[in-house]
Amino acid sequence: MPEAEARVRQSLAERVAPYAYIAPFFLLFAVFGLVPLLFTFYVALFDWNPIGEHVFIGFDNFTRLLGDTRFWNAAWNTISIWLLSTVPQLLIALVLAHLLNHARLRLAVFFRMSMLVPYITSVAATTIVFAQMFDRDYGLLNWLLGLAGVGPIDFLQSGWGSHVMIAVMVTWRWFGYTTLLYLASLQAVPRTIYEAAAVDGAGAWKQFRHISIPSLRPVIVFTVVTSTIGGLQIFTEPLLVSRSAPLTCGPVRQCQTLTLFLYEQGFGRFQFGYGAAIGVALFVLIIAIAALNYVLSARIRPER
Amino acid sequence: MTPRPWAARLRKRSPVKLRTTAPIVLAAALVLTTAAACGGGGSAQPSGDGKSFEFWSFTGINQKKSVEDYQKANPGVEVKLTEVGTSVETAQALTTALAGGKVPDLVLIQGDDLPKFVQQPQNFQDLRQYGADKIKGDYLDWVISQSTAKSGEIIGIPTDVGGMAVAYRTDLFKEAGLPTDREEVSKLWPTWDAFIETGKKYTAATGKAFVDNAATSVFYQAVNQGPQKYYDPSGNVVYATSPQVRTAFDLAIKTVQAGITAKQDSFEEGWSVGMGKGDFAVVSAPSWMLGSIRDNAPGTKGKWDIATIPGGSGNWGGSYLAIPKGAANPKAAWDYISKTQSPQGQLDHFADSGALPTTPSVYQDPKLTGLKDPFFSDAPTGKIYTDSLLGLKPFLIGPDSSAIGQEFLNAITNVEQGKGDPAKAWDAALANIKTAIGK
Repeated sequence: MPEAEARVRQSLAERVAPYAYIAPFFLLFAVFGLVPLLFTFYVALFDWNPIGEHVFIGFDNFTRLLGDTRFWNAAWNTISIWLLSTVPQLLIALVLAHLLNHARLRLAVFFRMSMLVPYITSVAATTIVFAQMFDRDYGLLNWLLGLAGVGPIDFLQSGWGSHVMIAVMVTWRWFGYTTLLYLASLQAVPRTIYEAAAVDGAGAWKQFRHISIPSLRPVIVFTVVTSTIGGLQIFTEPLLVSRSAPLTCGPVRQCQTLTLFLYEQGFGRFQFGYGAAIGVALFVLIIAIAALNYVLSARIRPER
Repeated sequence: MTPRPWAARLRKRSPVKLRTTAPIVLAAALVLTTAAACGGGGSAQPSGDGKSFEFWSFTGINQKKSVEDYQKANPGVEVKLTEVGTSVETAQALTTALAGGKVPDLVLIQGDDLPKFVQQPQNFQDLRQYGADKIKGDYLDWVISQSTAKSGEIIGIPTDVGGMAVAYRTDLFKEAGLPTDREEVSKLWPTWDAFIETGKKYTAATGKAFVDNAATSVFYQAVNQGPQKYYDPSGNVVYATSPQVRTAFDLAIKTVQAGITAKQDSFEEGWSVGMGKGDFAVVSAPSWMLGSIRDNAPGTKGKWDIATIPGGSGNWGGSYLAIPKGAANPKAAWDYISKTQSPQGQLDHFADSGALPTTPSVYQDPKLTGLKDPFFSDAPTGKIYTDSLLGLKPFLIGPDSSAIGQEFLNAITNVEQGKGDPAKAWDAALANIKTAIGK
């Protein structure tokens, strides 16, 4: 029966079509995501000279990594910089989004658009300008501190100082982007709810606390997860702040992050195997923190 | 942070009546092109047209000028010059290229990065096949020996060497009551100890720092002045016991403790600013550093002069031209090397760029000895720097030399910045090196 045959063929096509539509993404993901990822696991088992021999050494790279103080130092730096940059960034973005959503805000489009300027500025340029501002002897910040009779603070050379400096750069670059995400979400909240609350006598803080934040829950979870993944991979800023010891972010690795440590070992010292092992460790760390995030942020999920 | 494109990707409705086969065709095409793109390169047979070649260089060494001159003399050949980035970035790009198989025809490699490549000579063309062994006598022995593999292959031709000298500010020396004439200034510091003493006088008279930093201006110079640095002549790692290394390290710590440094690490933001403002009067300067001083403090033109380095001789830096094994146009690349790196070619390039020739036969040439640099009070840079090479005792540079040097540099910087304990700095440096290189 040709009619039934046609129907079967059509339904087959219909069943295959969705997969075909999403295939390009998965092909690209396989080529640029999955294969490199698996290959990294493979390389991590070798003493791998990119232009020489590849010697299989099993898990030696990982044993070495666990006993390497430079690794733990980089892990601590990464977590410290991540916390210092993510927490203020999300808080600033929340407040700004709430302000920008205000009904009587003049020039709203201008303010909203200007939020994006740091995000679209080149990271390298931002880093260089900030590094100048934080300079020990000639920086704007220490000049201001000097006027107040404090300092000078050697931001780059001290552990916490360099972390704060990099965290400021990261926050600067991302707060506008996060603000816009929150703002977009807030605009979906009917204005009548705010009006009703105002009529009931709720002030700005109460409106923020009881309307804005609850309605932002899903997007807060989203931004926490993405900024965690991004924050654990901070690379450009620490690479560029110290020019005399760029691969270690200073003489005592005071702000060397895990990705920078990976880069130092892999591309500075050409130990691809060891570099790959660091990559695997970073992968595990991100998975662990993302899982923790998931569990914690499930608590602020909107009730269903 | 990585960009988060998926967040911005708004939900779009897919085009309504696309034929279902289209994406499949598209995907198949994609796979094919990807495969094709990966298939190129890697072939050992020269496949180029011989009329052009690809040349990777780094910034700050002015290969552009050499290339222009070469193209003027050889109008039939096209040189595709890429300045990849800094010398280190260029070496990284080369490593990636060698591992991936798509290589340039000619590449400039900085001396510190060279040993890693010389240890793997199978990645490069043995230049002896083009006659490198016949011209190797033109070059300083100890320089070309660095680019000669253990098994005898010559993989690089040296383009320049660093030499050593000290750049100083005549105006600031005058204010401090020190002599300003380069002969007399050179006599102030026959040794590094005398250099530190001069610094103390300067700082006492002016209240300002004498030298930019101890790590680069003292350690990196002094450590390059002995017959043995981090490796012994047979290639064993000896950084912990080499007397020259310890001496240089202690001199640097002594410089810090004398309180005569501006604590400005070379090439940092503050270093440039301080140099422009005259916050320190002295920078140790291999010949390539002169360009950095010119670029970073253009307003100080004419206020500098150049004296000899304490200890009299030494070398820091220098580069090599090499041809990767998989080059498509090796003959064209070699023609470029042989013409631009002949003694005459290097002499011409010196006049244009200040890069010091590696060919001693031109060291007495009036074009070299007579060149004066107006930025540095007409100092005869060619003569000063080549003199610093003549008494040189060469040492072996090994694959981990730059990593070892960086750890020593870091340990000294840490003391200089007031964070590290000077008494423990040496041991800390040794421990860090051991972690870094495993021996």
